[in-house]
Amino acid sequence: MKIPYSDLRVRPDAAFPDRRSLDRPIVALLLTRGEKSVIAYATVDSGADNCVFPASIGLALGVDMPNPRSSLFSGSRDEPQVAYYEQIDVTILPMESEQISTDQEPLSFSLYAGFCDTLEHVGMGLLGHAGFFSRFEVRFHAALRYFEIL
Amino acid sequence: MQRQCVTPIDLVSVLNDAPPGEWLALSFKRDRIVAHAPRLVDAQKAAIEAGEAMPIMMKLPPPYTQIL
Repeated sequence: MKIPYSDLRVRPDAAFPDRRSLDRPIVALLLTRGEKSVIAYATVDSGADNCVFPASIGLALGVDMPNPRSSLFSGSRDEPQVAYYEQIDVTILPMESEQISTDQEPLSFSLYAGFCDTLEHVGMGLLGHAGFFSRFEVRFHAALRYFEIL
Repeated sequence: MQRQCVTPIDLVSVLNDAPPGEWLALSFKRDRIVAHAPRLVDAQKAAIEAGEAMPIMMKLPPPYTQIL
C-alpha cells in the first residue's frame, strides 16, 4: 500500500524560523473491538517499541482502564508513563493523493495495542515495532513524500 | 526511470479553524470538520448523527508538533 505523507502545521521557532509545516508518515486506521469502532490517525514511528494510542480511543473501544495489562514506557523525558493493553483489530485504510489511488486493498491485522493518557494531547497513535514493524515491511520515500507498507 | 513526487495530504487547511484541545471529527474525505467536542465519543456521535458515517477522529496537534 502506498500512502502520501500528511502535511501538518507547526509554529516557527528560533531553531526553525521558516518552518510552517511538517510532512509526517500518518495512516488512517479503522480500530475495532467487538461492536465498537473508531477511525483515527497514527504516525508510523520506527523509534517506538510498541503501538500506543490516546486513552480516549481506548475508551471509545470499550477498553477497561486501568486493567491488569499495564506497561511502563518513557519518551524523551525520564518520566515513566503507563499504558494499558488490549487486543484489537486494525485495518489500514487507503489514503488518496493526486498520484496515489485509493483503489488499494486495505490491510487488516490483529494488534495488542496500548492506550495511555499521555498521548491525549497529540490526538493520534504511534505505530511502533511490536505488532506493526514486526509484521510489515515499511519503506519511507521522504524525498518523494510517500511511504509504502508491504 | 524518474520517480514521481507525491502531493501530501493537506491537514493544514482543514485544521485552520479547529478548536485547540478538543476532539475533532473530520469527514472521511478530510475536507471539513463535521463535529468537535471535549470528549472523543461525543464528537464521534455528533458526526454520525450529522450523516458522516465514517468520521476520522483526531485532535488539533499542539503548536510544538515536532515529536521524538
